[in-house]
Amino acid sequence: MSPQAALQSEVFHAYFFIVLGLLVIAGLVLAVLKWGLKKPVDSIWTTYKSWLVMVPILFGCVFAGRIPVIVFFCLLAGFGFKEFARATGLYRDWWMTSVVYLGIIAIGATCLVRQPQGLESGRGWYGLFIVLPVYVVTLILLIPIVRNQAAGQLQQMSLAILGFIYMGWMFGHLAFLANAKNAYGYLLYLLFATEVNDVGAFTFGKLFGKHPFRSNISPQKTWEGAAGALAVSMALPWLLRFSFPYFGATQLILTGLIVGVGGQLGDLAISVIKRDVGIKDMGAGIPGHGGILDRIDSLIYVVPIFFHMTNYFFDMR
Amino acid sequence: MTSWNYEPAADLDQSLVERLRRFPREPDMTIYGLRSFAALVLRGWLRLFHRLEIEGLEHLPKEGSFVMVANHSSHLDALCLLAALPLQKLHRAFPAAAKDYFFVSVPRLAMAAVVVNALPFARRTHIRQSMEICRQLLANPGNILILFPEGTRTGTGQIGEFKPGIGLLVAGTNIPVIPCYLNGAYQAWPKGKRLPRPRPVRLHIGRPRTYANCPADREASEQVSRDLRQAVLDLAA
Repeated sequence: MSPQAALQSEVFHAYFFIVLGLLVIAGLVLAVLKWGLKKPVDSIWTTYKSWLVMVPILFGCVFAGRIPVIVFFCLLAGFGFKEFARATGLYRDWWMTSVVYLGIIAIGATCLVRQPQGLESGRGWYGLFIVLPVYVVTLILLIPIVRNQAAGQLQQMSLAILGFIYMGWMFGHLAFLANAKNAYGYLLYLLFATEVNDVGAFTFGKLFGKHPFRSNISPQKTWEGAAGALAVSMALPWLLRFSFPYFGATQLILTGLIVGVGGQLGDLAISVIKRDVGIKDMGAGIPGHGGILDRIDSLIYVVPIFFHMTNYFFDMR
Repeated sequence: MTSWNYEPAADLDQSLVERLRRFPREPDMTIYGLRSFAALVLRGWLRLFHRLEIEGLEHLPKEGSFVMVANHSSHLDALCLLAALPLQKLHRAFPAAAKDYFFVSVPRLAMAAVVVNALPFARRTHIRQSMEICRQLLANPGNILILFPEGTRTGTGQIGEFKPGIGLLVAGTNIPVIPCYLNGAYQAWPKGKRLPRPRPVRLHIGRPRTYANCPADREASEQVSRDLRQAVLDLAA
């Protein structure tokens, strides 16, 4: 990945124009609804304006190359964890949060460096990246012992471990994907398809939603929305097959299932945390979306499963 | 089985700008890191560019809450007083800053909340509310309140009258008040100048004073304010 490679990559060009086209069309539709038909679309308009900021940042990073992509996704993991820590109250425990941040920095480092003895082909230190949770969990378990404290530590340790594994390491797979031979295809497909899956669930739910999906977790979600999103996600790998032309039918079906099912489970997983804590959004950093975790919740679930599915069938690096 | 007790941050639903504007602010590791880094840079800059010298460091209490009061002649003042404190107390030191000046535009807000750790003091409206915030701050051990009782920077270089607020805050309490005098700050960065000039600045720190025996009324408060002003003038002499 590099600016030169991005300029020559047909996959990068294709996604750039697809996203640009969708943003223009969505903007025109919203403009007609807002100013032409005087419909109350203020909240969607705010969400759309945030997309106008997020999309250029994302494409800018992917265009800039491998290192900016790794740094960007690790920063996103860090800020995502920060939201989780602020939501659960873990942020008051600086030892626990420091170890998790250290772990996220280590994820970035394993994505950036090669295996020192040259035992792995390709960029990144995959072996250490995969076993990193062992070391971070060990450190987290060490903290109460060092400070000779037991009361309330199970909660703190559990939250820190969940925060690192889920927001740090699982999401960190997206950073490691920058080392793949087909980084543009994987990264841009996952980012695009997961967001389309979210939009699909929202749209189908709004249009046809009647039967609650998981009423105690996310009352707005319906079976109709979930089925519609799954249908869209199953079709997308075939429509965007240029992203991974060597994928056979098995991999395309699996990709559809991973995004279609995983995306919604990721959304619900963060909703479980929010409902248990008793908050509406994980933060207020992105107007119209909530926090960073509210935006990347589906990706966190989808990316590692897609990563290991692809790594099973193909030599990724 | 006992339920877990979550305590989400009080400002969870607020944007970064709103979070910086509120007080008390929630502890934030990123902001603490930025503030510590900025303090190191600013301390170096004050020593090199303004040849800052500090006298009377031994008068600063080692523990407990206290108030530092000083004459106010430039934007350097709060930075000089903060430079007199150990780095580990940086996040517990709160210079009171005009809410209507420092907490409006985003660049000034970032400077006030992130770098200086300022307490937004509404000097025109809601003064009672601001005083209450100061009082609560001092009720927690280990906090340091930095006040400029003149209320604004001097336009002449002379020390103006001290407002009675400082008296109302400390009269009838055991909270130590440390009078401080900043010499040269007016010449280094007078009101109306956009940038500071390389003039030497000297900070004199006086002995702590307490006003436990003063009644907490208006008259006694004015007397306390006059006494503190005199203490600052004595340091100047």
